Amino acid sequence: MSNAPGSPTLHSTAAMAVELTGITKRFGTFIANDGIDLAVRQGEIHAIIGENGAGKTTLMNILFGLLQPDEGSIRLNGEATVVADPAAAIKAGLGMVHQHFKLVPSLSVADNVFLGMEIRRHGLIDHAAQIARTQELSKRFGLHVDATERVGLLSVGIEQRIEILKVLVRGARTIILDEPTAVLTPQESRELFQTLRSFVAEGMTVIFISHHLEEVMEVSDTVTVLRNGRKVATRQTSELSKDELVRMMVGREVSFDRRPRAALHGDIVLDVKDLWARDDRRLPAVRGASFAVRSGEVVGIAGVAGNGQTELAEVLSGLRPASHGEAWLKGQDLTTLSPAAIREAGLAHVPGDRMVRGVDRNASIAANTLMGRQHRAPWSHNGLLDWKAIAGNAGALIKSFDIRAQGAGDAVKRLSGGNIQKVVLAREFTNGADFLLVDQPTRGVDIGAQEAIHDEIMRQRAAGRAILLISVQLDELAALADRILVMFNGRIMGEVAGDDADEDRIGMMMAGVSPQLEPA
Amino acid sequence: MMSDRLRAFSGQIIAVGVALLLGAIIILLVGESPVRVLMTLLRGAFGDQEKIAGTLLQTTPILICGVAACIGLRGGMFNVGIEGQLFLGGFAAAWVGFTFSLPAGIHMLAALALAIVAGAAWVAIPAFFRARYNTNEVVSTILSNYIAVLLTSYFTIFLFKRPGGWSETPPILATAYLPEIFSFSRLNWGLVIGLLLAVGVALVFRYTSWGYGVTMVGSAPKFAEYGGVNVKRQGFVVLLLSGAVGGLAGGVETLGVHHRFMEGFAPGFGFDGLIAALLANGSPVATIVTALFFGALRSGSLLLEVDTSASREIITVIQALIILSVSAQVLIKRRGDSQAGERRWKF
Repeated sequence: MSNAPGSPTLHSTAAMAVELTGITKRFGTFIANDGIDLAVRQGEIHAIIGENGAGKTTLMNILFGLLQPDEGSIRLNGEATVVADPAAAIKAGLGMVHQHFKLVPSLSVADNVFLGMEIRRHGLIDHAAQIARTQELSKRFGLHVDATERVGLLSVGIEQRIEILKVLVRGARTIILDEPTAVLTPQESRELFQTLRSFVAEGMTVIFISHHLEEVMEVSDTVTVLRNGRKVATRQTSELSKDELVRMMVGREVSFDRRPRAALHGDIVLDVKDLWARDDRRLPAVRGASFAVRSGEVVGIAGVAGNGQTELAEVLSGLRPASHGEAWLKGQDLTTLSPAAIREAGLAHVPGDRMVRGVDRNASIAANTLMGRQHRAPWSHNGLLDWKAIAGNAGALIKSFDIRAQGAGDAVKRLSGGNIQKVVLAREFTNGADFLLVDQPTRGVDIGAQEAIHDEIMRQRAAGRAILLISVQLDELAALADRILVMFNGRIMGEVAGDDADEDRIGMMMAGVSPQLEPA
Repeated sequence: MMSDRLRAFSGQIIAVGVALLLGAIIILLVGESPVRVLMTLLRGAFGDQEKIAGTLLQTTPILICGVAACIGLRGGMFNVGIEGQLFLGGFAAAWVGFTFSLPAGIHMLAALALAIVAGAAWVAIPAFFRARYNTNEVVSTILSNYIAVLLTSYFTIFLFKRPGGWSETPPILATAYLPEIFSFSRLNWGLVIGLLLAVGVALVFRYTSWGYGVTMVGSAPKFAEYGGVNVKRQGFVVLLLSGAVGGLAGGVETLGVHHRFMEGFAPGFGFDGLIAALLANGSPVATIVTALFFGALRSGSLLLEVDTSASREIITVIQALIILSVSAQVLIKRRGDSQAGERRWKF
């Protein structure tokens, strides 16, 4: 809003396909979208970029009628519209390709495309017509899909094209794609971009959600950057450089104060040597990472989400195999150990995917604090649990970590996001581990809880723990880390000292630009 | 705490209510009075001490099979093969009973032990493929039922047939009998085994480190994996234990009731047990109640054709309605809970 020079001119050149005004959406106390304005011209590829949790998907779900905004209005092709549900959105010429596909594997491509709107002849489904129409659309937009093939036999990339075809036959003129490249190989992504260009060549409009800079730079005409539920700016892509874009994404407005600290030069606790790992698509995601973490040190990992940080954390905690390299924790190579053995060796892990990995939402706080130590005294003796001790300990943790709950018997799902994270921290930071792997500790957490979590991390540092802090929030890293490593495309691009965390330099490295070699 | 538990079962209670209501409508449609059918059912199930004992006799295998299902459900495994494990366990116990001669008591224990082994061995095949290749245990355990039932038929008819007319094995020796509790009924100590098992399994899940890990595998597999529980191995172990208890159910039925193995000796108990467990939300103790419910339906239905114009099959219809409404309810509930929901939708 504040820094959007030139935006008035770009609004007037063509008719608007989509105009959102003042869209606000709250979930409980959490504000997912905060007064967002968005204008998308007809016939452009408009990228919406932002970190995870910036509000991109929420905004698009509102546009497509999956969510109703608390405030704000929507105009489609110049007409004020209430998008009550997806059916209304489709009727208004919108189409959405979701992150998760909804196809029937046992049906053919054409049957999937026309599911729910079958072409009929004498009351029966006219398969020939459906196939012909699917083939024609596929050819026209270079989708290369065989309409007769069974969907269950096809790759994810082709499935996405089928989803696009579904949107096309429903007459969409404005197509929303939610992180379409997340499941694609680089080759498939390039083909997708070709298709998107052919759409705009026919006068259609494309809205494209992403957190990948290169893609946005490559394919979009206009970029809107969201951060923490607010719009930062809408700019023409051609006027932007990559590191400007990074800076808009990660921002520098809210800034935590750097935490005071005593210099501690401990021994090396974690030593990672040339570590490689693949992602779920079997593509290299971590490429030759090498670094060390000392006791009494917070090492930060910065980077735009999706540059290998998740995979790195999973390898270090034993949840993903390394394809090459070593990670030594106090004399043991973590890449050869099971998750249980790694915990035994001295790892505590605050997972980035808190709700799925970090807790059992349906279980009590007491049961959640037990995970990982259910075989250890004093929680268990000879394989028998001592629930009194467990509940007593959970009660003490509720107090010392200031978890807002009625008691240790409360189900975790009743707590707020910040308090759930405190449950995770309380469990992990009290299990006596020397190495703390802390992944996105304050994502989706309110300011008060953020402060408390940061305090706790600093207390752990003072206690001599070695801490690897992975975060997409630069200000968080600048507040806490002794050193910041920047990850880009699976590699560690460089390192900066925490007390002179120069946002420009970090931003450059996050955008994939190598830093000049400087004497350390 | 208590209200949480009540809420957890409210869906089940509604499901049974809906099923009974639909059942009543069907009874009306065939021109019979639902009230009369209900009263006859109650009289048939609980009318006098023999009837009550008869109900408990029917309850026993359903309860043990239900506990078997609960063990699987707790660890996120759907063992639909309990019927087959029951048949193999029943045959294995009979084989020990008529082949060996051992001192009383020891003979019985040896027969039950082999029944347990047989059940575990039978489920080991689907369990292995589940752990090794991630095949869907629902499909493989269902299919294994048919093989088990026909395999025991083959054993009975071609290898161990008692000379004479029936498709059954020779009778087991009295040393292998499960003793009867009352003089007036075949009700035997199998019921006590079932009750102890239900309570014991509940305690193991609640009060052991192992039980905690398994419970987490069932309710939040990614969390369990993160916490260091070997999800695949525990899935395998849980299926094995579930099959072992399924085998035990067959052994108890053979040693306590029939004293021989015969074709089709215990039809549907495995499935009834699974439904009882689902209706009990996977809680072994609550399964005691639901198993009693199904046992009473079965035993009460015996009087139905004598005293009313409704067919005994109306009970099968009501059971099917309960299955439908319970599974609808389970699906509706899980849809909100995406993690478990996706797992279930993958059938």
